[in-house]
Amino acid sequence: MCKIGKFFLKLFGVLFAVNALLFVVFFFDLDGKLLFNVVEPFLKKHYDDMERKDVIKQPYDMNKFPKY
Amino acid sequence: MAKKDIKKALKDFWFGKPHSGEEGGRRLGELYEDKTGLLKHREWRGVKDTFYYMYMIWGYNYVHMVTDILKYSNNPIDFFKGTWRYRWMGQTYLPVIHWFERGLQGMRGEALAASAWHYRAMVSASIQQICNFFNADTRLHGGKQNDAYRHTIYANETTCGTMFYPFMDAGYRYLPIEMIPYFVTCHVNSHTVLNYIDAVQSLGLPGDPCPMCQAEAGIFVLDDVPDSSPMVITCNEACDASVSTSTLQDWFADKPLFALPIPMQFDDPLVKKYCMKEIEDCWKFIEEQTGSPFSWESMVKRLEKQNKLQRDEWEKWEVASKTDYYPINGVAQALFRIFSTQYGIQGDFWDEASEKVKKIMYKCVEKKIKPFPKTRHRVIAWSCAPLYFSNWCTWAYNCWGLNCIINMDSLMFDMEIRTDSYEHMLEDMATYHMWAPMRRMAVGGMHHIFELWEYMERFNCDMVAMYDQLQCKGMQGVHGLFEDEFRKRDIKAFWIPHALPDCRTVSRAEIRRQINDYMTTVMHEEPLDPSLLDFDDSMTW
Repeated sequence: MCKIGKFFLKLFGVLFAVNALLFVVFFFDLDGKLLFNVVEPFLKKHYDDMERKDVIKQPYDMNKFPKY
Repeated sequence: MAKKDIKKALKDFWFGKPHSGEEGGRRLGELYEDKTGLLKHREWRGVKDTFYYMYMIWGYNYVHMVTDILKYSNNPIDFFKGTWRYRWMGQTYLPVIHWFERGLQGMRGEALAASAWHYRAMVSASIQQICNFFNADTRLHGGKQNDAYRHTIYANETTCGTMFYPFMDAGYRYLPIEMIPYFVTCHVNSHTVLNYIDAVQSLGLPGDPCPMCQAEAGIFVLDDVPDSSPMVITCNEACDASVSTSTLQDWFADKPLFALPIPMQFDDPLVKKYCMKEIEDCWKFIEEQTGSPFSWESMVKRLEKQNKLQRDEWEKWEVASKTDYYPINGVAQALFRIFSTQYGIQGDFWDEASEKVKKIMYKCVEKKIKPFPKTRHRVIAWSCAPLYFSNWCTWAYNCWGLNCIINMDSLMFDMEIRTDSYEHMLEDMATYHMWAPMRRMAVGGMHHIFELWEYMERFNCDMVAMYDQLQCKGMQGVHGLFEDEFRKRDIKAFWIPHALPDCRTVSRAEIRRQINDYMTTVMHEEPLDPSLLDFDDSMTW
């Protein structure tokens, strides 16, 4: 088989494999499962542990700006 | 395997299982994992629709989420920094494709394609807003007030984007403070907002006002609002609880602030004059803060585009009201419309989606394709919808054949704004502003809430889905009036109790139960898909 033929055969094989893999992820909702079971709990823990400013300690400067 | 079975299996493979309660019908409820609402596997919709969904919706939107970030972000690294910093961002926007899934479940052919274009436009508009937040946020830029910061105008999410058109040619952007951190999050991931509601109540503030107002204040209480603008414009949204939210926002934002109220009773011509004056004062405030003058050209340019979008919508409504060929499902219709009218013209995404949808719609009209062939009742949804279960209408169509044709949220801004003179424009702007979400036909007076009957006739609907926001004092006050009118007019109507963003007050399962009860005990009907009657999705996004 000529070089170009081999190249297209390989390309077709790679594209087919990528599409098959994507189909498995899509059909079995693997992206959803990963986000729900791994990513979201990880991020939630991060946000829960985050230090936050206590906004109610901030004075309410009612006359700081001119009247509009 | 018998020959008949092979034939059926091949037919199911090629076309997908039929939408029917009989043996061999699709049983969408069996696709769910218990509690989480995740899918054991996605529905096989037949060869054409399954691969359309995979490439043109699932894959297409994943890819475009990345290209949108590259398009709208000044520096993509900021996007990741923002995701790490803000809960409403990280916890919410990653599962956005699942939001598509919930809204598009069971859809086929033209309904699937057209509804997905509405979702695409909303995702694009959301990413633009998220990038605008992060491009300008001083917290992500070492406290530096950059050019993007100086060109951003913060406003309450129910202050319509139209208000800011005069300053856009000079490079200013309107950024609704709560639309992304609050409103859109509830639809995509209903868990996030609960943190903000609880934060407000942890200060000792009462838990019974509207949870929307609580959540909007809670974002500030948890210090989760980006510092992306040198000024703030607040409004009373629809009610007194929102006024308190504005007070808290004034305290916590600590910036020059202009309060632009939406009048409670808007039929009085004197009130309208007052409103016109308020709008002009708001423009003056922006001029003072930015140093940029009001530009008539900038205003007209965008108003023309907005008016075109409104005319598109009238075209679509004409088809929806008079035929069975309208391809947009209830949730895609409602969210696209409320999002586009509030955010306004800040890109081409609304127009692009609208053109694509019109093309699909006219194909349905020409070829007489019924995108919702199992429609048993044409439903109009009235009052404010549960944000955590806005896709109830997708479920209701799949389970009962209830096709939600139109809804109150879509009908609020049912007008063009004249551009022939400044006076006409200002007058129409005042009307547009006064017809705000939750005000025009909800808390805006008895005459307007009962516009339901006219719209029911106009859209040829035979059933009402009446939302019952349990913590909205305004709408609770007219509950009995609606009951009386439904009886007097012999209108088929079911109630959907909910607490806007808070899925803990009335669960999705409870909403489904209420509709199931109505359909069996009052309508004496059998479900189209019995597997959807009762399932546990209490932990779902």
